[in-house]
Amino acid sequence: MSTRPAGDADALAAALRAMGIPCDVESRATLAIISAPAQQVARLGAPQARAAALALARQHGFTHLAVELGADANEAGAALLRR
Amino acid sequence: MTHDAERAAVEAERAAAEKEAALLSWLAARRRVAIGFSGGVDSAYLAVVAHRALGTDGVLAIIGRSASYPAEQWATARRVADDFGIPVLELDTDELADPRYAANPSNRCYFCKTELWGKVVPVARARGFTTVVDGTNADDLDDYRPGAQAAREHAVASPLAELGFAKADVRLRSRALGLPTWQQPSSPCLSSRLPYGTSVTAERLGQVERAEAALRALGIEGDLRVRYHDDLARVELRPDVLARWLHPEFAAQLCAAVRAAGFTRVALDLRGFRSGSLNVLHGVSAA
Repeated sequence: MSTRPAGDADALAAALRAMGIPCDVESRATLAIISAPAQQVARLGAPQARAAALALARQHGFTHLAVELGADANEAGAALLRR
Repeated sequence: MTHDAERAAVEAERAAAEKEAALLSWLAARRRVAIGFSGGVDSAYLAVVAHRALGTDGVLAIIGRSASYPAEQWATARRVADDFGIPVLELDTDELADPRYAANPSNRCYFCKTELWGKVVPVARARGFTTVVDGTNADDLDDYRPGAQAAREHAVASPLAELGFAKADVRLRSRALGLPTWQQPSSPCLSSRLPYGTSVTAERLGQVERAEAALRALGIEGDLRVRYHDDLARVELRPDVLARWLHPEFAAQLCAAVRAAGFTRVALDLRGFRSGSLNVLHGVSAA
């Protein structure tokens, strides 16, 4: 079993914002977790937006990309979004 | 369906039926066969064919029950056995008591299967079942499966793999024989939802099992996994249903269901379900 280096969360967040998705990204090794308001989360349901986000995640060193649900109702997520 | 597709489907049916004929002969030659029976697609099919080949006295389906074995799958196993008249024996196994297993190394399955076969094989032999088999198929041989070594060490045979059954063959013949499992998603043990190195405990397995059951109760069908990442559950669904569950109304329902199972945070994987997802995350296989 090898250990992959962590992805670059800040760079991915900037790339997603440039794509029109205001969000923050938390990195857990090569898993990226997007925190965004619910309406922005819904936009990632569109296949093209999802494919673009996954491509950006790969580009910034992540093997997995997940979007947090209820992040705006969650204390940690809310703090991220207030920044 | 186009003419070519129809012809390919007929050919696939024919090839699978030929393999089943070979399997019936293979089993008949062994006379008394015990099967490690989980209620999954492969072992259910194998048990039904073994029953056809050997009759009620010649076959015994043995279920190893433990905290990592989903209750839903146990119910399926019992249903198949009842519907097809297959004799069943249930044994308790306790892989979690082995610290080498609980530490959750990448060869965790080896310790689980060592525990399973270490209990199943002696019981089977004591009852006169000299041949013990599992449901490993030919496709499985391409995967990273450390549990296969334990099967070899206990002289457990894998006739589906030996006779070249791909998963698609098993599904085709399961449908032909009327098994309810023919289109059942693969369902590996609950420990596969924990990343390697995250210790396996009954509490964590319970969290995962409750969360997956809650998602099924919301009507989510097909492939589904709740991956454990400490406080966070990462949910993998079929890609074609992701848009629905990212919609605020449905996302709130999904989130509430998973939180009620004991997770603080819930995230939906944007790539969707993939088998062996945690192997990729931890560099055991390619992305």
